[in-house]
Amino acid sequence: MANFVMEARHVYKAYGSKKAKKAEKTGTCVDAKHIVEAVKDVSLQIRKGDIKLIFGPSGSGKSTFLRCLAMLDIPDRGEIYLGDECLTKPGVDLNKARARIGFVFQHIYLFRHLTALGNVELALRQVLKLPKEEARQRALDALTEVKVTDCANKYPAQMSGGQAQRVGIARALARNPDIILLDEPTSALDPELTGEVIDTLRDLAREGTTMLIVSHEMPFAREVAEEMIFYDEGTILETGPPSQFFNAPSTDRAKQFMNRIISRTTRE
Amino acid sequence: MPLTLSISLISFLVGIAVGLPLAFIRVYEKETSFLVDAYEKIFRGIPEIVLMLIFFFGLGPYFPFPFNNAFFVAVFVLGLRSGANQSQIYRGAIHGVGNEQMIAGMSIGFSKWKSIWHIMIPQVFTFSTPGLGSEYALLIKDSAYVYVIFALVEVMTRAVQIRTSPPYDAVTPFVLAALIYIALTFPIAFWLDKWGNKRKKKIGL
Repeated sequence: MANFVMEARHVYKAYGSKKAKKAEKTGTCVDAKHIVEAVKDVSLQIRKGDIKLIFGPSGSGKSTFLRCLAMLDIPDRGEIYLGDECLTKPGVDLNKARARIGFVFQHIYLFRHLTALGNVELALRQVLKLPKEEARQRALDALTEVKVTDCANKYPAQMSGGQAQRVGIARALARNPDIILLDEPTSALDPELTGEVIDTLRDLAREGTTMLIVSHEMPFAREVAEEMIFYDEGTILETGPPSQFFNAPSTDRAKQFMNRIISRTTRE
Repeated sequence: MPLTLSISLISFLVGIAVGLPLAFIRVYEKETSFLVDAYEKIFRGIPEIVLMLIFFFGLGPYFPFPFNNAFFVAVFVLGLRSGANQSQIYRGAIHGVGNEQMIAGMSIGFSKWKSIWHIMIPQVFTFSTPGLGSEYALLIKDSAYVYVIFALVEVMTRAVQIRTSPPYDAVTPFVLAALIYIALTFPIAFWLDKWGNKRKKKIGL
């Protein structure tokens, strides 16, 4: 077990009205339309250095699953392991655990009142408790790594989307987390700006960063992912190397989805 | 003039110290938020002059320190009232800043309260400046009530000198007045809340 950086076992998460949740707990019948099962019994293992890519239709629960892994959403059932530590047990210090997990958001969510440097520095100072000089140096290093040193003293509102997202990646990276989870890091950006973020991710991949990425950037997936995971209607439908998906997906749903995505990409 | 400034400034600061925690409790600690709600309704429902007189004449004789001091009572009441008002201002600002900022804070390993301190509060102030400006203007104007207490003390001591027995009951009428004001303000606030919640639910907020 210790050889997994992160592991999900039979994770289940549903959204619904309070009424529906209560009914489900007490075992009474729930009208299906009141409840959305975003994650249905999903298991996944990630080893050190793995780069895995989750893709699938929007609204299928990929983001919820990723948030559950980071314990930003608490799963209803199932276990999440970070190394040897079970995060879903009661009494676990989740803040400490989250400090070891990097998370990159689709809509970036930089702290708007802080500069790029301040954004990256904050956790180093306040969570890792590094001395001022060291925190600054490490934050600068992280910004250099994602090539946005020129934005160091700019506020999020003064940056382009691509710059902001790279600062977001630096913020997740600077703590040297065990794993980085990226939730559609490019899908809120102009096509023109996705390129620079993808380049950054490519660099990280080359350095052996452990990453789980939700993305529909197929050429990128083909290039860096060791494993692709097709996620639909709350479950993992198919898992395999990129070649399998690009040549002959074994499930019909995956086949349809790949066809649609590839025809769209080529049209562009 | 120095009295006006010092009363309004100090009660404004008291209002920040009271209002900020209340606002965050209201947004993030749903189980206890009904207490905050009751506090806000009481302090905004009763006129500050009535509250001041209750504290001054009701508690003053029993706790001469600090309630027998008109300046203290004015700051005390205006501060708590301002806390109730500011809590509302901050609550709107917290929603303006958005829950995403909290989630981003938690994603870097912050606890809820750490996110509030380092991420929410600095932004909440930028979002609440217009409301805070008008709140301060209210305090400046209301600080004049301290003179009403001064005047009343004067009148009352004279009155007591004139009619020695029976001891003059100064508090009961004020408490009655407070209750009447509560009865007048509560129903409207209550129905507004209820209507607002119903509307919000209907449009999916």
